[in-house]
Amino acid sequence: MKKIKTKINKNQVIFYLSVKIYSLEAIYGAAYVFIDRAYLFLDSCSEKKIAVFLKGKNKLSRKQLEALKGDFLNELLDYAFRIKLSRNSRKLREFIVGQALVSAYGDDEVVQENEIGYEDDPLGIAVSWEDKYGAKPKKAEKENK
Amino acid sequence: MEIKFNKKMYSLKAVKSAIQAYRGLADFDFKQKGAYIKVELKNINKDVEEMIKDEFCNYVLFLMKL
Repeated sequence: MKKIKTKINKNQVIFYLSVKIYSLEAIYGAAYVFIDRAYLFLDSCSEKKIAVFLKGKNKLSRKQLEALKGDFLNELLDYAFRIKLSRNSRKLREFIVGQALVSAYGDDEVVQENEIGYEDDPLGIAVSWEDKYGAKPKKAEKENK
Repeated sequence: MEIKFNKKMYSLKAVKSAIQAYRGLADFDFKQKGAYIKVELKNINKDVEEMIKDEFCNYVLFLMKL
């Protein structure tokens, strides 16, 4: 397992994240969660890497800073997964919302359908076999054939 | 005091909004230079001098999420 390069100094932990692995959207999400716990700053050190500066709001020990970084990375992973899941289930979500809207909108039509009696038969379903395909040939006619 | 915001991470809109919110605590000036938005703070209120930079950066980041 490759370790994330980390620097710790002046109550601050600095580490670098690959843009290939973590989207900027996920980094913003995780950063937003940590805004009340730490001071955050982002910078780009190259095309593919983002530097994250995490500074404790109170004086933190080296261990606490490491723990803060670990918590941030966990949150980042959580956000990255959530974004991926949201993208994958987008079509299904849209379908469900669409169905909910259609059923909410179509209430009047349902009532109208219920008002139609079975005798009205607007779809022409209530047709007897004979009416549709003619009378059944008699046994004698069948044997002659 | 100077803060350099990378344009890839921070939008000008967020920086401007943060300046608007913090203008009572210091005199702000900003300019865009290459890949960065440079924000300069002068005449900082002494009560907040130590933390204004970090708090300002956090606030800009918070505005990026909106």
